[in-house]
Amino acid sequence: MGPTIEPGRLARRDLIKRAAAMGAVAVPAAALLSGCAAGGSGSTKKDTGTKTAANPLGVDKNAPLDVVIFDGGFGDDYARQFEKLYSKEYTGAKVSHTPTQNITGLLQPRLNAGDPPDIVDDSGNQMIKLDVLQKAGQLTDLTPLLDAPSIDDPSKKVRDILMPGTVQIGMVDNKFVTLPYVYTVSGMWYSGKLFKQHGWTAPTTWSDFMSLSAEIKKTTKIAPFAHQGKYPYYIDVAIMDLAIKNGGQDFLTRIDAMDPTIWDEDAAKNAIEAMYEIVQRNYLLPGTDGMTHIESQTAWNQYKAAFIPCGAWLENEQLKATPSDFQMTFMPMPSLPGDKLPATAIRGGANEFYIVPKQAKNAAGGMEFMRLMLSKKGATAFAQTANSLTVVKDGVDPTVKLRPGTQSTVTALKAAGANVFNPTYVNDYSAFATDMDNASAEVMANRMKPAEWLKTVKASAVKAKKGS
Amino acid sequence: MSTVEDPTPTPVAVTAAAPARPPGRDERFADSGKALNVFSHGFLVLWAVMIVLPLVWIVLGAFKTSTEIGGSAWAWPTNWNLGAFGRAWENGVGGFLVHTLIVLVFSVTLTMLFGSMAAYVLARYEFPGNRLIYFFFVAGAMFPVYLALVPLFFMLKNLGMLNTYQGLILVYVAYSMPFTVFFMHSFFRTLPTALHEAAMIDGCSHTRAFFQIMLPIAKPGLLSVGIFNVLGQWNQYILPLTLMQKQSGTDADHSVLTQGLVNLMVQSGYKNDMPALFAGMTIAMLPVLVVYLSFQRQVQAGLTAGTLK
Amino acid sequence: MRHRRYPFIVGFLIVPVALYAVLVIWPYIQTFGYSLTDWSGESQTMHFIGLKNYTALLSDHVFLTALEHNGLLLVFLPVITILLALFFAFMLNVGGQGRTGGVQGVAGAAFYKVVFFFPQVLSVAILAVLFEAVYRSDAGGLLNGVLVKIGLENSQNPIEWLNDPGTVLWCLLAIMVWQGVGFYLVLFSAAMQSIPKEIFEAALLDGAGRAQTFFKVTMPLLWDSVQTAWVYLAIAAMDFFALVSTLTPGTAYGGGPDYHSEVLSTYLMRNFLYFGKSGYACAMGVVILFLTLIVSVLALRATRRERIEF
Repeated sequence: MGPTIEPGRLARRDLIKRAAAMGAVAVPAAALLSGCAAGGSGSTKKDTGTKTAANPLGVDKNAPLDVVIFDGGFGDDYARQFEKLYSKEYTGAKVSHTPTQNITGLLQPRLNAGDPPDIVDDSGNQMIKLDVLQKAGQLTDLTPLLDAPSIDDPSKKVRDILMPGTVQIGMVDNKFVTLPYVYTVSGMWYSGKLFKQHGWTAPTTWSDFMSLSAEIKKTTKIAPFAHQGKYPYYIDVAIMDLAIKNGGQDFLTRIDAMDPTIWDEDAAKNAIEAMYEIVQRNYLLPGTDGMTHIESQTAWNQYKAAFIPCGAWLENEQLKATPSDFQMTFMPMPSLPGDKLPATAIRGGANEFYIVPKQAKNAAGGMEFMRLMLSKKGATAFAQTANSLTVVKDGVDPTVKLRPGTQSTVTALKAAGANVFNPTYVNDYSAFATDMDNASAEVMANRMKPAEWLKTVKASAVKAKKGS
Repeated sequence: MSTVEDPTPTPVAVTAAAPARPPGRDERFADSGKALNVFSHGFLVLWAVMIVLPLVWIVLGAFKTSTEIGGSAWAWPTNWNLGAFGRAWENGVGGFLVHTLIVLVFSVTLTMLFGSMAAYVLARYEFPGNRLIYFFFVAGAMFPVYLALVPLFFMLKNLGMLNTYQGLILVYVAYSMPFTVFFMHSFFRTLPTALHEAAMIDGCSHTRAFFQIMLPIAKPGLLSVGIFNVLGQWNQYILPLTLMQKQSGTDADHSVLTQGLVNLMVQSGYKNDMPALFAGMTIAMLPVLVVYLSFQRQVQAGLTAGTLK
Repeated sequence: MRHRRYPFIVGFLIVPVALYAVLVIWPYIQTFGYSLTDWSGESQTMHFIGLKNYTALLSDHVFLTALEHNGLLLVFLPVITILLALFFAFMLNVGGQGRTGGVQGVAGAAFYKVVFFFPQVLSVAILAVLFEAVYRSDAGGLLNGVLVKIGLENSQNPIEWLNDPGTVLWCLLAIMVWQGVGFYLVLFSAAMQSIPKEIFEAALLDGAGRAQTFFKVTMPLLWDSVQTAWVYLAIAAMDFFALVSTLTPGTAYGGGPDYHSEVLSTYLMRNFLYFGKSGYACAMGVVILFLTLIVSVLALRATRRERIEF
């Protein structure tokens, strides 16, 4: 694996984590598709209009727009909002909306027939891998979109209103061919209501976190900490967040380069020892090590545990199980003594990949659709209907009322400023990540000590480095 | 065979019958195991409870809220309405059942036909290569199916049979061959040769002798191997998952039950709509139980013949 | 009588053999070919690397662990299922005490026979959801809930059935036994009913107890059925994919905690689809094929016995 991030694998990781989480076995679609995605050649007639300042991408105002949306965790209602925005701008255009859970099934034959949709949300467990599409020459280069003026402030280009790192993630083979639209932050979550009721304040340092946990344990029947034990991925994110904040940019660079020596250093040691403290002091929700994401998150929703680590999809995932006055609140992982990054630093990154197929008849319209998605109106609509943030910097209209969890991620992201990190080793070294998952689960179950964890992880890193 | 007549006798009737036990030689048989009897009967009851309660639990799940399901498996349902069933039905559970039925009707019939044709020839006719072909069939039973998946996918794609009933049916038939040939082979070997010889002397062709004489005699064997095949193909998961995917937006959905239920599982996970999942499982489960209850005597009778000889 | 014999043989074999060769054997042969390459499974580019995949397998401790687990299952799944099914079949067919002094099953035998078969018709997807709740790791689990209520377990320290290296494999085994017993019970019942009642009556007259009747009379007469059951259960024991991949912890197809429930099929699939080591996975499959072949030949040899005619 080269240093370039492969969005396909990133999303695939997310899919396996989450689809496997739901008991599903991932479909070997990606493997099966190899070679099939190569499409029919021959040029298709493109619908284009004249480029003007108001129409920088040269959209044909009357050309129909064919939208295909992955109907998964975010539903497909949000896309209808985008379509409304498009129809308002281009009243003559007929917009068609196709939600599906099987992107491959829908897209593959149309690509082969040279008659693809104009914009596709290529996600879910049957997404087509982006590197496969790119190799088959099926993706439109979206650089014109990056260089087009943004909707809200024409003096700024689209590329300047995106969260840092977005463009890099959208690159396949050094070309910006996909727009990763959703911005996911990870950290810890608590109930605002519960904390208010007991007069607790969200801790910012690890020692505060420990003393609050001690108090919770002593004064209530609530367990201080729960995690999605059946899927150790979640706790790994928490452990690595602690380590990256402690070791700073240097640690981040070296773990992504799979440098095995970092496991001899303090940052990793501090992180795993801190996490082990939770285990040692018996702060875990009984049974949490064996629980699925649904079970543990619901237990947390029922006030059986005070904190739980998770990504920002938590609020949408738990929508039906969350009491209305719960006040779901996000916070960054608490800081360890000697942290190189500030306490407000968080993990954040873009995913959910939108593409414009190369042979799309209304490719300009597809790109224009993306430009509208990247407007404040679009980002706000997404935050409201899908309860998640987008890659638009400060994209959410502050006067609009969001769900409390989503609102708290907006606040946290603002506070983090430039201190947002997004490690990629998970995507590039899946065998290493799996080894770490297993070791961390053993630590959480108190069957492994931190020293042994460091040894195991290092051994796996050495192996991964050799294998790459 | 003493009590099979009534499939569901009530426990009350049972205890009423028991005290009338006469003394005699029977006592000795019983004496050796009085304690054993209490224990073993208790065990039977316990096992029955261990089967019935989980099934009831699945049905109850359809009447719970997502919070109740996620919170504790012991939560009692409070949401007594059929909404979850409606949502599950909208997700196509009824269709999954129909698709499965269509596939199984053909695949099991063809499996039995081709399987017994091959097994018969291999069992009753000597010819060069006989053993080789027999082992060629039987060896396939040992290979994990998922290893052949990728080449198989391309094969069906080239034949234009992805997401078609005939494609999946042919694959099921092919992958059921090892079992079927293996068991029917041993079954045909045990059948008396006299009848067959008599038929041949009467001028019957080999083909007619097979269809008109041997197959009817082999009915018990066919039935029992058929039952094995129904159960085996009913529970296929990885094959339909790979081969029965929609190939385009306009392609009809032919998902079979296992795959449909797992899709429902994923969907319920995304939307945290667990009651719909339980309702879907109930819809999927009940008809099968009803069918089994109606045919259980045939199933039990059919299995009489289904052993290696 | 010998005329037109070969056309008939060919006519009967051609369709089954062709179907089987094209859809089963040919894909497997391709798999064997892949096992000699470094195929990633994600593109058709690959290099021939000879037997390197096979030598790597020998030093892969996860593979060896998985092999060991399948070995355990191969022994325990058939033994437990068959013994339990035999016991039930015996109880339901000849274990009862009849008014007439004859041989018959316990009261309610027909009811049990029907109910015990139920799990067999449940889809594997249903099993996964059901047993996730049964083995749930807090006091809210079906199993833990009972144990807490009867005071065998502290709700603050519940048993994490599927996250405990000591229990996880046995929990999965229990599911397979739970599902399978009814089927083999019916199979054995059928066989028992084909044994003439006089044999039991005679044993009874000779003063044989229930246990004696079971071991000395019933078992030997059922040997054929037991052998059939053995073959089926052995094949089931080599798989376990659906249960391990859905129920156990661990990334991509479960197998946890820390490989304590890893079986060959899950490790193979993880290498195949998740690690992108498809060539390696194919080599694993070829090894599994040969192991299964050897095991089944040995098993059939070992269980071959003189048949009792009656």
